[in-house]
Amino acid sequence: MSKKELIRRIVRSKFFMLGFILVMIIVICILAGPRILPHDAMTMNLSDRLISPQWFAKGTNGYIMGTDALGQDLLTRLFVGGRTSFLIALFAVLGGSVLGTFMGMLAGYYGKKWDTLIMRIGDVQLSINTTLLAIVIASILGASVANLIIIMIISTWVKFARVLRGEVMMIKNKEFIHASRVLGASNFHIMFRQVLPNVTTPLIVLISQQFGQIILLEAALSFLGMGVPMPQPSWGTMISEGRQYLSTAPWIVVAPGIALMTTVVAFNFLGDGIRDVLDPKMKH
Amino acid sequence: MNNEKKILLEIKNLKKYFPIKGKGTLYAVDDISFNIHEGETVGLVGESGCGKSTVGNVILGLLPATGGKVIYDNINLVNLSRKERLPYCKKVQIVFQDPYSSLNPKKTIKQILSEAFIIHKVGNKDEVDGKVRYLCDITGIEEALWVKYPHELDGGKRQVVGIARALALNPSFIVCDEPVSSLDVSIQAKIINLLIDLREKLNLTYLFISHDLSVVRHISNRVAVMYLGRIVELAETDDIFNSPKHPYTEALLSAVLNIDMTQNKEHIVLEGDVPTPINPKPGCRFAPRCRFAKDICFKDMPELKEAGEGHYVSCHLFSEK
Amino acid sequence: MDKPLKNVLEIKNLSVEYHTDFGVTHAIDKINLKIKRGQAMGLVGESGSGKTSTALSILRLLPRPAGIKTNGEIYFNEQLLDSINEKKMQKLRGNRMSMIFQNPLTSLNPVFTVGEQISVVFQNHYKMGKRESLVRAGEMLEVVGIPRNRILDYPHQFSGGMRQRVGIAMGLACNPELLIADEPTTALDVTIQLQIIELIKELQKKYETSLLMITHNLGIISELCSVVSVMYAGTIVEYGTVREVFMNPQHPYTIGLLNSLPKIVGERNKLTAIAGSAANANNLPEGCKFYPRCPHCMEQCKKDFPPFIHLSQSHSAACYLYEDKSGGKINE
Repeated sequence: MSKKELIRRIVRSKFFMLGFILVMIIVICILAGPRILPHDAMTMNLSDRLISPQWFAKGTNGYIMGTDALGQDLLTRLFVGGRTSFLIALFAVLGGSVLGTFMGMLAGYYGKKWDTLIMRIGDVQLSINTTLLAIVIASILGASVANLIIIMIISTWVKFARVLRGEVMMIKNKEFIHASRVLGASNFHIMFRQVLPNVTTPLIVLISQQFGQIILLEAALSFLGMGVPMPQPSWGTMISEGRQYLSTAPWIVVAPGIALMTTVVAFNFLGDGIRDVLDPKMKH
Repeated sequence: MNNEKKILLEIKNLKKYFPIKGKGTLYAVDDISFNIHEGETVGLVGESGCGKSTVGNVILGLLPATGGKVIYDNINLVNLSRKERLPYCKKVQIVFQDPYSSLNPKKTIKQILSEAFIIHKVGNKDEVDGKVRYLCDITGIEEALWVKYPHELDGGKRQVVGIARALALNPSFIVCDEPVSSLDVSIQAKIINLLIDLREKLNLTYLFISHDLSVVRHISNRVAVMYLGRIVELAETDDIFNSPKHPYTEALLSAVLNIDMTQNKEHIVLEGDVPTPINPKPGCRFAPRCRFAKDICFKDMPELKEAGEGHYVSCHLFSEK
Repeated sequence: MDKPLKNVLEIKNLSVEYHTDFGVTHAIDKINLKIKRGQAMGLVGESGSGKTSTALSILRLLPRPAGIKTNGEIYFNEQLLDSINEKKMQKLRGNRMSMIFQNPLTSLNPVFTVGEQISVVFQNHYKMGKRESLVRAGEMLEVVGIPRNRILDYPHQFSGGMRQRVGIAMGLACNPELLIADEPTTALDVTIQLQIIELIKELQKKYETSLLMITHNLGIISELCSVVSVMYAGTIVEYGTVREVFMNPQHPYTIGLLNSLPKIVGERNKLTAIAGSAANANNLPEGCKFYPRCPHCMEQCKKDFPPFIHLSQSHSAACYLYEDKSGGKINE
C-alpha cells in the first residue's frame, strides 16, 4: 500500500483519528504532566486534605483537580498513576503478545497434538478467574509491579494465541505456503517468513485493544488491593481509596474513573481505526 | 518413439486414501501406474473427484502416499522427510492453479522470486539478484514489476510470476496443476504459449493436470484420463482425441462443446452425477454410468492393458483381445 | 394465427457505473441489444466485460448504492422498465422474466427445502396456496429431471448439477418470456455441464422462452444460441448470428479471442494471444476500448468510439476498419 493510500485511509477513518489523538494526549499528559506540575505524587500534606478541584484558579501551583485524603494533588497522582498503569500494560502486552503469538502459531500451524495441548492449557487458564489467579500468584510471589506484569501476561496470552491460531489455520493451506514447501522451505522458515507477515494486521489490532483491557484489569486488581502496592499511585488504588469519600469528596473517585474510561475507549477506537486503515475490507 | 527417450518419472501403484470420519475411506488415488519420459508432456484429465490434483500433490510431497512409489533418478520420492527431499526440490516443481492465492500477498515480486535462493542459501545478494533477473528474462517479467505486490498485477502476470518461481532452481520436471483454469480465456493463450516456449528452451518435462480438454490437447504429447482415482485410458494425444476407446473418454470428449459449426454432433449424455470416491463398490468404477456395462464390469476391476500401439485402456470391452 | 414477433427485450444506449470508495467504474458504456420472442442470444465476454452488470440492469438488481444506471432505456415486451415502480417490477421478476445464476452453492437458501423455495415462486405470482404450490413445485422438479419426492430435501443434499437444475426449475416455474442465464455451468464438471445445457435447450424450445445466455464459453453459445453479442470492457463490439460471428469474425477482439482458443479438433496451430492486458474498468481509454491491444489501431480509434458497420443484414461490428456493406440503413 502506497504512502498516499495509507494517508488517505488514515484521514478517512474517524476511529483512527479520534483514537490516535486521544491516546497521544493521554501519553503526553502522563509523561510531561508531572514535570509541569510542582506537586509530588507521594508526599503527604495533611494540611491540604480533601480540597475540591480549584481548576485553574491558582494556575499550576494550585490543586487543579483537588487533593485526596492525604493531601496529595490528585492530578499529579493521576499522571504518575497513569505512568505506572501504562508501564505495566506495555510490558504485559509485549510479553503476552509474544508468548501468545508463538503459542498460537505453533497450535495453528502444526495442529493436532500441539493444537489440543495449547488450547486446553488456555481453556483451563481462562476457567480460573483472573482475580483468583492474581491472588494465588501474589500470595506465592508477593505483591509487586513485576509480579503484576507476570499476572497480566498470563491473563492475555490466551487471547493472542486464539486469534493467531485462527489466522494461521486460514493461511497455512493457501497455495503460496505449499509453494514454499515445494521449494524446500523448513517449517520454521514458513512460519516466520511466510505466515507471520500475513498476520500482522490482526496482531496489531489486538495489541491495541488489549492495551486498554489490561489497563482496566490492572485497575480492577489494584482496586481490590491485589495490584500496585501502596504508596505507588495507580488509578485503581485511587478509586479504592476514594470510595469512602464518595459523597464528601467525589472528585477523588471521579478523576481516575474518567481517566480510566477515556483510556480504554481511546484504545478501543485506535484498535478499530487501525483495522480500518490496514484492512478496510469490511466497509460498506 | 517414446520408448527411446529416457524415463524421468515412474509412478508405480500409487495409492492415496483418506479416512473420512463416520463415512469410511475416500479412495482419491487408487493404484495408478504410468511413466513420464524426458521432454514429454503428459496431460492428466478428469472431472472433480477423479484424483488428478491429488496425484500432483503426492508427487511433490505435499501429501504423503498411502502406498506405491514415485521414482525419480532411482529414488522413491514418496514419504521422504523434508531433509531427504531437499535435493529433489530442485528437480521437481509445481505451478499452481490460483494466481490469487499462490503468491504471498505481503511480499514483493522480487522477494517472491528470491525465496528459493534464500531457502537453499544460493549465493550472496548480488548473485541472487542476477538469478532473479534471469528468471524474469526468460519469462518476460519487466524489471519495473520487481517492487510491486501481487495484488497490483493482473491474473495473467501473477501466473507468470508463479511459473518463474517454479523455474528458480532449474527443475527438470514441473507439475502444472490447472495453471490456466482461473484465467480469462484471452490470457490463457499467453500462459500456454509461455509454458510451451519454456519447455523447448529448457528441455522441461510436464505433468499437465487440467479438466479443460482443449488445452490439454494443445500442449500434451500423451494423455491419461482419470475417473474416480483410476486411470481409464492412456495414449498419445491424437489417439485419445481421435479414437478414444474407453466409454468414459468418449463421453468426456463428446461433452466438450466446440464452436465448429461444420460438425453436427450427437452428444453422449451421461446420466446421473459424478459419484464420490468414498467406499466405492467392487468392479469398474464407471460401470454404473456406462452404456456398455456387462455383468463382469460390476464384479472385477479391469486392469490398464495395452489395446493398441502405446494405447492403454482399463475396460473389460478390450480385455478379450 | 402467428404471434407477431415483437422484441421481448430491447436495450437502448445503456450505461452503468459503479461508485465506490475507490472511484467510478464504468461497467457498461452505451450498449444496444434486442432479443426477439423465442430467440436465444449469447452474450460473450470475459471478466470485467460488463455482462453480469447487463443482466442485473435488466432485472433492476444492480447492487445499491454503488450501481447506477446512468443512461439508456430497457424495454421488456415494449414496456419501458424505468417507468414502473418497484412493486410492479417485483411482479415481473421470477414471473415474466427470471434468472439463473452461476454458483449453485450460494444461489439457493440452505435453510429451506427445495420444494419450499420453488413453491414460493408460485405463491407470489399465481397467488396459490401452500399445498397446491408444493404440488406444482414437484412437477417442476420432474420437468428438470429430478424425482418429485425430492421437494422435501435441502440444497446441501443435492450435487452441484442438481442444484443448478433446481435453479432452472425456479427460473422457469412461471413460464417467463425471458430467461437470463449468467454463467450457469461454469462451476460444473464438463459432463454435468452437458446435461444442463441439453436441459436448457430442450426447455427453451418447448416453452418458447427467449434466452439471454451469458458466458465466456463459445462452445455453449454455439450449442444453444442463434445470435450472439460480443462484449469488451463494457461495450458491444460485434453481434450477429452465431454462424456469422464465429465463422467470420470481423472485430479484432473477436478475431483475437477465437484465435487464442485451443481447439478440440483440427489443426493444432500456435495460439495467438491478444496483446496487452485486460482492460481496467476503472481507467478506460477514450474512443474504442480495445485500441491499446489492437494490431490495427489507427488514430481515430483513440478519439471516438467507432460506429457499428453493417457487414450484412444481421452482422455488425464496431470498428473503423470496415465500410458499411448493407446500404447504410441501421437495421438490427
